[in-house]
Amino acid sequence: MNKRLLLTLAGAAAISSVIGIAKPEPVNARIKLATLPDKEAVVVRFDHPHQVLVEEERTITLQKGVNTIDFSWAGTNIDKGSIVFRPVAADTKVEILSTSYPPGEAALTWSISSPDARSEKFRLSYLMANIQRETDYRAIVSNDEKTLSFKHYFKIRNWSGGTFDSADFITRDGKTFEKGLDQGEAKRVLVNKWDGVKLTKEYVYDLTRQYEGKVMTDYVLKNTKDMGLGAIPLEYGKVRIYQDDGKGTTAFTGEDWGQFTPIGDDMRLNIGIAQDIKVEFKKMVNNVENRRGNVYDTNEVDEYEIKNFKDSEATLILVLRVQGEWEMQKDSSGYESFEREDNETIKFKVKCPAKGEPVKLKFHYKRLNNW
Amino acid sequence: MNRYDQYPATNNQFGAIPGQLGIGYWLLVIGCAAVALISSPLAAKEELVTLPERESVQLTIYNSEDLTLVRERRQLTFKEGDNRIQFSWANTLIDPTSVEFQPVGKDAQDALEVSDTSYPAESHQMLIWTVTCAKPAGYTVEISYFTSGISWSAEYTGLLSNDESSMDISSYVTIHNRSGEEYENAQVRLVVGVIHLVERIIDLAQPGQGGGRGMPQDKWRELEDMAEDETNEDPADGMARPKEIQKAGLSEYYIYTVEGKETVPNQWSKRLKSFTVAGVPMKTVYRLEPAKFGPHFTKVLEFVNDEDHKLGKEPLPDGIIRLYRDAGEGRLSYMGVLNSKYIPKGDEVKINVGPDAECTLQQKRTSFRKKDLSFRDGWLVGWTHVEEFELKVRNFRGRDVEVEIHRGMMGDWDFDSEDDWEKHDASTRKIHFTLKVNSERTLKLTVTTRNGTNTK
Repeated sequence: MNKRLLLTLAGAAAISSVIGIAKPEPVNARIKLATLPDKEAVVVRFDHPHQVLVEEERTITLQKGVNTIDFSWAGTNIDKGSIVFRPVAADTKVEILSTSYPPGEAALTWSISSPDARSEKFRLSYLMANIQRETDYRAIVSNDEKTLSFKHYFKIRNWSGGTFDSADFITRDGKTFEKGLDQGEAKRVLVNKWDGVKLTKEYVYDLTRQYEGKVMTDYVLKNTKDMGLGAIPLEYGKVRIYQDDGKGTTAFTGEDWGQFTPIGDDMRLNIGIAQDIKVEFKKMVNNVENRRGNVYDTNEVDEYEIKNFKDSEATLILVLRVQGEWEMQKDSSGYESFEREDNETIKFKVKCPAKGEPVKLKFHYKRLNNW
Repeated sequence: MNRYDQYPATNNQFGAIPGQLGIGYWLLVIGCAAVALISSPLAAKEELVTLPERESVQLTIYNSEDLTLVRERRQLTFKEGDNRIQFSWANTLIDPTSVEFQPVGKDAQDALEVSDTSYPAESHQMLIWTVTCAKPAGYTVEISYFTSGISWSAEYTGLLSNDESSMDISSYVTIHNRSGEEYENAQVRLVVGVIHLVERIIDLAQPGQGGGRGMPQDKWRELEDMAEDETNEDPADGMARPKEIQKAGLSEYYIYTVEGKETVPNQWSKRLKSFTVAGVPMKTVYRLEPAKFGPHFTKVLEFVNDEDHKLGKEPLPDGIIRLYRDAGEGRLSYMGVLNSKYIPKGDEVKINVGPDAECTLQQKRTSFRKKDLSFRDGWLVGWTHVEEFELKVRNFRGRDVEVEIHRGMMGDWDFDSEDDWEKHDASTRKIHFTLKVNSERTLKLTVTTRNGTNTK
């Protein structure tokens, strides 16, 4: 006996009709018979960083012998090469004999051998393009800027050509939510919320990030359990930050792109400019010395005068860069405790007293063997 | 009650009249999830439509970005189970990604949960919240969003005493509304500070959608009448008085809260007084300091934003300063207008008012020589310039003045002068002195510059 079953995924049709169409009669010349198996589950997985995998389960009534099942997906963005079709039960006697691809069609045909007449549950998996995903976060920082409430949202927009009446959407970190999603529709869902997350506030001077030399205010979140996170790697996404104003409401205090943050790593978020901390740079010495032919060294002293006009002391991190071969000289401020991040980058932490009392940082270095 | 809620809900996107104001017309639609409202072309089903009153509105306006955070509170009635709430904002400059729904109060927060937010394909200016309600009742909810088109700026008026020894300073804040939406009786907060934005709100709001274009004349007249009717009444004596602006710090920002409620119609601006201080002591310094004040010898008015100068209660936001001098008999003499940067509490303020004919600087090079010429294969490869300069400063004013002159050099140089110069930085020398009334002083300096192989 040779039965044919039609699976259709049309542009405006629902995923519920992926297997079968609404009409029992044959749709084209190749179809001899179509049965209409019920949809049992549709799962849309986002665990791959770029691809979306759709999995659906159907119970198909098979006759004894070889059965033919057609699957077509006109108007949708299914990756033909990614289609995987197999019985759910591991110990089934049902066997898929071959897959045939008719020319010029978004369709294929499976030949399935069954030892007897039976209902068998199958799982159909395929990659689907044009289902966009986006992560964003809302943070509400406490009035004292010590902790925050961190909400993680997942947004999907469906341009795939298909419509999901109801599906389980599974995020990269394994969160599942059941929703319907029309063609062209977007849905945004709260997937995680963490309260009491500890944060560190840093003032940073770094010309490669802020070329005018203004001081940036950064919040640093550590993606660890100790700090109130650490459950999942944090996806790349926009973080909008609000702060409790102490009067029963909040004010928006800035936003930044949160970079992908594995467990254990830091997420650094720039919220804005700290206008009450000013840094004035002066190059006090800039001499050439030790000239040998066309090779020379330089002797340079950079001076940073920092004024903190806030009412309380603040610590400023100065990230300074010198290109090439260079050595810091011992009369530099904080020579014993500086942090050289890499060959070009050095970090100073400067305690800045309150109310505008100036503090100076001397950075003395020699650039060697220049030509 | 929102003044536009009177318009009936129709099929053209929730009663919005094309080309007219935007979220003034928005409508909340509540119904059970079972009602397939969304898949239909948004036909407003009358039995599902409610028009809850806008109980309060708060505007938080930023001056560093084209951004305003709007919070509205509304009383809504929820049924048990899923409720679908639709929010639309045709003809406004709202950022769709910023729109948030938040229950207000513990009861509401316990009973309500936003299950999802849906952005239907058929409209870019609409969303639908599915809110699951555990305990049916009326609850207050807050809807917040970012809008473009509302801004504020600081302005200062400085009135200098006739001898320029002191200045009366008046500070104002001006709110400008070009958002396409009128916010009636809103609590207004102004944020001083530079926040970080990664995308412009106007771009997210789809430019060209808003701005209140095409507003009919009768609507203009209505808004004009309303603006004229507004007064700041004081019930105690019936006298109007200026509203106070409360200032408080938050993180790296200051929040100015305007007393009471304000209505700023679309396309209107409104100016409010922030503070006035009389008799701020001033210093006048004449400076030649190209790195900060440009290439000219210029008059700089200086004071400090601290208590000694009757200020220091708050930072001074960046803004326009208009300067006048007391011309006697209550008359003003206009000096100029310039932009001021943000001044923290305790920081110095230096206002560059430009060159002044009453105190001048004349520079000339009195000598130019080359020496120590060296050659290789008959070609010049090393040489040294020796230049002598004279700088003459003359004070025609009826008072002593302070003068500070910076001189920058390039390359491999030596600087020499009999005057008392100081090192400012590696390539700059400076001199600072007081010049007596109706006197002059000539500074002499020599700059030697080594070039080519003469360079050290």
